Amino acid sequence: MDLLSVGTSHKRAPIEVREKLWFSVDEVRAALKELTQHSYKECVIISTCNRTEAYVVSPSEEPKAESLRDFLIDFKNARSIACPEHFFSFSSCGVANHLFEVTAGIDSMVAGDVQILGQVKEAINLSKESGTNGFYTNRLFQSALHVGKRSRTETEISEGAVSVSYAAVELASKIFAHLEKKTALLIGAGKTGELTAKHLVSKGVKDVFIANRTRSKAEELVQKLGGSIVDFEDLRPQLRHADIVISAISSPNYVLTVQDIQHVMRDRDNSPLFIIDIGVPRNVDPLVNKISNVFLHDIDALQRIVDQNLQKRTREVTKAQKIVEEELVEFTHWYNSLNVNPTIQQLRELFEEIRQLEVEKHTHRFTERDRELMDLVTKRIVNKILHIPTMNLKNGETESTEETVTKIRTIRKLFGLMGRRPDA
Amino acid sequence: MILVTIDVLEVLLPILYFITIWAYAKAFFSGHPKARKISTPLLTVTLLAHLTYLLGRTAAFEHPPITSIFEILSVIAFSISLAYLLLELKTRVKATGYFVLNLPFVFQLVSSLFIKDQIDVDPVLKSNLLGIHVSSALLGYAAITISAVYGFLYLMLYHKIKSSRFGVIYERLPNLEVLERLSFVSTAIAFVFLTVAIAVGLIWLPRAFPESSYIDPKLFGTLLIWLVYGIGLAARKLAGWYGKRIVVLSILGFAFTLISMTVIDIFFSGFHKFY
Repeated sequence: MDLLSVGTSHKRAPIEVREKLWFSVDEVRAALKELTQHSYKECVIISTCNRTEAYVVSPSEEPKAESLRDFLIDFKNARSIACPEHFFSFSSCGVANHLFEVTAGIDSMVAGDVQILGQVKEAINLSKESGTNGFYTNRLFQSALHVGKRSRTETEISEGAVSVSYAAVELASKIFAHLEKKTALLIGAGKTGELTAKHLVSKGVKDVFIANRTRSKAEELVQKLGGSIVDFEDLRPQLRHADIVISAISSPNYVLTVQDIQHVMRDRDNSPLFIIDIGVPRNVDPLVNKISNVFLHDIDALQRIVDQNLQKRTREVTKAQKIVEEELVEFTHWYNSLNVNPTIQQLRELFEEIRQLEVEKHTHRFTERDRELMDLVTKRIVNKILHIPTMNLKNGETESTEETVTKIRTIRKLFGLMGRRPDA
Repeated sequence: MILVTIDVLEVLLPILYFITIWAYAKAFFSGHPKARKISTPLLTVTLLAHLTYLLGRTAAFEHPPITSIFEILSVIAFSISLAYLLLELKTRVKATGYFVLNLPFVFQLVSSLFIKDQIDVDPVLKSNLLGIHVSSALLGYAAITISAVYGFLYLMLYHKIKSSRFGVIYERLPNLEVLERLSFVSTAIAFVFLTVAIAVGLIWLPRAFPESSYIDPKLFGTLLIWLVYGIGLAARKLAGWYGKRIVVLSILGFAFTLISMTVIDIFFSGFHKFY
């Protein structure tokens, strides 16, 4: 009985292999069912665009990573493209170590990736749905999700925007306190502009106006984002209502000039105006930034925020690593306490301690020769007492997990072994 | 007993302020979670100790601690810290404590170093009306100081954002709108306290000195400050002055206050000179 995990991720395999090995939700369900037929006791499958990983409890003492790996490859018909080097495999507490690093955000492509935690949660839920979870995997994933939560609250590994569009939103919230009272104006219908507007909407911006040379594209965007369309020719009058302007259009000349903005600022009582210029060549005259209460940022400035945040996240990795280590100690403790041998060993140690203590206490009452004898006799008594329970426990190894585990737990509880750290 | 307590607190207060600032600095510059957690309780403890100290002095020497410049410095330190704590509790903005609390620390340090146990004071200074006058004036000046600190932080962040330098200041300070609001709210509070101080002072003066006139440089200075802030508040409300302009005005107001209070104190004499 042991934990085993096999999988592939962006660290080992190129995108072609990862996409071939990607499991849809239905495929995960089918695979889980099949795995249980392969005599794996418990199984969970995580599949995202960056990783596909299987976590199982394998019945044999020496878990075979190869057969699990082959199962994944065969299930996805990926023999032609996937090879063993693309896969990692872990067993026992190594499994936990890896999964903890995944949920802590250390193993992600961008350190502190927020999505992975939800994806892991979804994976264990799918497994619960299919009834392929169990005693070991429940605890493993519960601990892993706990690690993920701790890493995000106790470190800053997930802090700061790591995409240009999100950096723009972050910047907006450094200028304005209440985005929900602000109006955004999007000029152009390009991808980055759209993403930025989308983030702003999800942050609760009150209104979005969209202006584009081709009206049909603007209409498409309105359907996706909500908001309303402004005629490209009416852009300037509309500016006075906007607090955030995103300009992402390809134009040889400046779309907004210093005069435009000076004019607008007078109309809007000088209240702050944030302009994001993601057009190349630039859409807004850089001199606009000189006007009081106008904040103009181009793509380079946003990229600088992203780079800074990435560096900061990387620095937080060591802190997250510490959390992984702490939780791993806990998990290892729990995991080992389930095993028969350490329990027997600890039980013997406990009895031996008691015996020695009592012998020492009374040793002065005996002569030198009798002392040896007493030592011998007491040892024998202890051994005899422990003999039958030991035998029964050892037999238990071939019984079903649940039953053995219950037995071990009972013994550990009865003899107060719970707090003891197994040395094994 | 009470004298011993006062002496101990005199030494302890600057130390308490220092520890509090240290916690706020740690919270701001390295985002230390524990420092964040303990900073506000630390400030509360410091303020309680300070309050005990001021009340103790009042009881022991039988006059409110407003009779020497060093007593007044301690009261100003207390007012600034108290005003800051209230502002923090109200706005839940924690990140700026370090910048504000540096001032009370310096004031209290100077006060603790030079303060004397004063028992003989001009009986004219043992008046309740005067107590209200002085304490509201000091609270007003404390609020002006805080407003200037936030104005200063606003300008710092304003220039960082404008020039695309995204360092610690950018990361940890609250946004511009909040800073402007903090500065504005403290200005409004300052204006109310100054109004009270001036009104009470005008009532008290003829009672204390029947033959005196209202011609006094400090009174004129304060009236001017009061007017400047009044105009600033009106400009914001009526003319819609936002952002940088109003903040600069607040900082200028503070600079003017500082100059008028010190220059007048040193170079002019009027009935306001008691020590």
